[in-house]
Amino acid sequence: MDFPFFIAKKAEGNMAKIARVKAKADSKMKLRKSTPKAKEVSRFKKPRPAKVTPVPKEKKDDLSKQEVTIGAVKFSHAKSMLMQDSFQRELPSGYGRDTMVLAVRDPWWLYTYWEVKDSTWNKFKAELRGEFSKAKRVLRVYDVSNVAFNGFNANKFFDIEVREDALSWYIDIAVPGRSWCVDLGLLLPDGRFITILRSNIVETPFDGPSWITDEEWMIPDEMFMRLYGMGFGLGKTSPAGGVWRKGAVSSPGIASMASPVRKQPSRSFWLEVNCELIVYGATEPDAKVTVQDKPISLRRDGTFTLRFALPDGTQVIPVKAVSKDGMDKRKITPIVIRETK
Amino acid sequence: MHKGYLCLVLHGHLPYVRHPEHEDFLEEDWLYEAITETYVPLIRVFERLVNDGVDFRLTMTLSPTLISMLSDGLLQERYLKHINRLIELANKEKERTRWQPQFEALSAMYLDEFLSARDTFLRYGRNLTGAFKKFQDLGKLEIITCGATHGYLPLMDVCKESVSAQIKVAVSHYQSVFGRKPRGIWLPECGYYPGHDKILKEAGLSYFFTDSHGTLHGKPRPKYGVFAPVYCKGTGVACFSRDLESSKQVWSSIEGYPGDYNYREFYRDIGFDLEYDYIKPYIHPDGIRINTGIKYYRITGTGNHKEPYVSRWAREKAADHAGNFMFNRQRQAEYLYELLGKKPIIVSPYDAELFGHWWYEGPMWLEFLIRKIAFDQDEIKLTTAPQYLSENPRNQVITPSMSSWGWKGYSEMWLQGSNDWIYRHLHNASDRMTELAKAYPGAEGLTRRALNQALRELLLAQSSDWAFILGTGTHTEYAIRRTKDHLLNFNRLYEGVKGNSIDQNWLSGIEYKDNIFPDIDYKAHQ
Repeated sequence: MDFPFFIAKKAEGNMAKIARVKAKADSKMKLRKSTPKAKEVSRFKKPRPAKVTPVPKEKKDDLSKQEVTIGAVKFSHAKSMLMQDSFQRELPSGYGRDTMVLAVRDPWWLYTYWEVKDSTWNKFKAELRGEFSKAKRVLRVYDVSNVAFNGFNANKFFDIEVREDALSWYIDIAVPGRSWCVDLGLLLPDGRFITILRSNIVETPFDGPSWITDEEWMIPDEMFMRLYGMGFGLGKTSPAGGVWRKGAVSSPGIASMASPVRKQPSRSFWLEVNCELIVYGATEPDAKVTVQDKPISLRRDGTFTLRFALPDGTQVIPVKAVSKDGMDKRKITPIVIRETK
Repeated sequence: MHKGYLCLVLHGHLPYVRHPEHEDFLEEDWLYEAITETYVPLIRVFERLVNDGVDFRLTMTLSPTLISMLSDGLLQERYLKHINRLIELANKEKERTRWQPQFEALSAMYLDEFLSARDTFLRYGRNLTGAFKKFQDLGKLEIITCGATHGYLPLMDVCKESVSAQIKVAVSHYQSVFGRKPRGIWLPECGYYPGHDKILKEAGLSYFFTDSHGTLHGKPRPKYGVFAPVYCKGTGVACFSRDLESSKQVWSSIEGYPGDYNYREFYRDIGFDLEYDYIKPYIHPDGIRINTGIKYYRITGTGNHKEPYVSRWAREKAADHAGNFMFNRQRQAEYLYELLGKKPIIVSPYDAELFGHWWYEGPMWLEFLIRKIAFDQDEIKLTTAPQYLSENPRNQVITPSMSSWGWKGYSEMWLQGSNDWIYRHLHNASDRMTELAKAYPGAEGLTRRALNQALRELLLAQSSDWAFILGTGTHTEYAIRRTKDHLLNFNRLYEGVKGNSIDQNWLSGIEYKDNIFPDIDYKAHQ
């Protein structure tokens, strides 16, 4: 097995390119109306620069199904009941504050949302006058790995132009294992950049093992690679999935789980027909009644109803009633034949 | 000879769903189904093991929301009503299927199960938490805690006070229920973000679990991969990682056990199959067909045609699969023992509801597995994290990597186009809660009540379940409503406290409705 350990490093050179691709995709977005749609574009264009270890991905898609499946059946219901008495109150669209939050989605993507107060916009409008309307609204994404970021000492940065009504964005940062900070700002025609909001700093995880080793806990590369694969369930540390398994416990069912969420298989057209039989009657309320020799209970008025799934064949159904004092007896025996063609 | 350890972890959680304002509330069924199909069967397994003198060690999360629901009088009353109706239905079914012996036997099986569920429920005074506590006190079960409302912590990192509140409220709730502090925690969705171990440490927690890449992608490289715990750099909190090989065996779409053709088919329920007027009293009051829990068919094959379930075949299969799982762990332990030069620990966590609710034969499989491990071999030993650590105190120090056990292994399940809108509201509420806790350090009376309720509402809004349901994209109305209602309640409380204008009647109303964590202290949010 071959594990590309140092992908992260190789990928860095692609940064500028990514930013360009981004800009292109963004210009297309102008046609779109609502921000969430715009985000979609940003999310799905995915110029993935370097090959990423396929290993964890595949296993994730497979195993995280546990959670999805359990979730699906745990939270299963025919139709969600609306809470009628809680009238449909809505959350405010904003809270009247200047804020910008940056969050890590995964090693390759960040998410940021922001809110700018009207008064803050007005302040910039007043300061910049005519330049304000010519300025582009831009997210400046700083790589601040291993620096105490002061606004000017980022390792590098790239810009993403965003629509004026955008309030959030997914950012493809392409390089795992780095620290990031984002400014929402105005890019003036003369190239000046004016920061309106600055986000918190986040660090993205690696998408592969660290190249840093521990002197005290050294391990040969080759052995670590083996362990690494095993951690993802790819190892052959047990015979699972091998020939042994098929021989010892031949369970044809295993192959049936094409997907753990076994939706009702899709069918074009179908018909199901079943028959049930209702046997009902009445006698004195205090009588003892048996049906096929099994005692049944009567309603207070002496009536009874029995319901049976009716398979093909003949059912002989003796119904016997005995009066309370045992003196009177009656027996009626319906015979029912069901046939399916 | 003993070659390695197996640490089985069952993660038990449900979001807090309790609607006293409605006579019947569909989503409350999540709890009732879980009690009948998962929690009672597990308790019955533990009881049989203890009665037969079988030693075992098992780790189990009971999330604070789950515990709160299990301990709630109204929900207990409603569960009793629910199980009584199922018993009535099973009795009717026994009669209805009289001419179909295969089905009659199955309806008798369900009747037995429902009676046993009711009996177990009543034996523990209607509160199953007591059953789990009993097995913990006997030293068989290691109960760990979780985020107070299962908030997904990596996306809360920007408001550390909220991360801290999720942990602190959970820990003090655990203490009030189990009479001692929890030693470990299942991070909600297994979501770890570097630095959160500091908050765990402050709360007195000494270990947690991550998915495999949490350790494997940590720095420096973990010498033993996922087969030994590591200590977090700077805090010394131990981190145990999931072994995917054993997870896969149970869960994989190719090799997983639950798909065996002899096992019970989840999707064929009499709630959907039977004649409408007959089944109507047992489905949703509005007449919507739902699952009843009585399912007569086995998986049979890939097609639509399903054959009746045969208990004996399924049982034999569960025994086979338990043997297979154990055999693979023995070989795995042997191999790793040679490779590592030390005894590996194999951590196998599963959603508790996999056992019984989804995989009907799961509890049976677990029982077979535990018995086989106890009597049929001596290569692997069941263990818990604290037990392992006391036997193996020296471990490598690393910084684990951000990770979760969700779809794609990070935060995408809870952060995508369908659910990302919640975070600006959640974070704003978190900041406001921090502001309130700072501004009113010694609140009394009505203000104190409002502040405590504000924290309850915030925590309830943070449940990862809402974002999860939004992410799956089906039946999202309820999740949206819950997110919004708790946030709106929170905002109104915030305004009320700040403006000294708390509406006492309204406050009493939401205290009654959202009654989780009666002893909560708003000062946990700092």
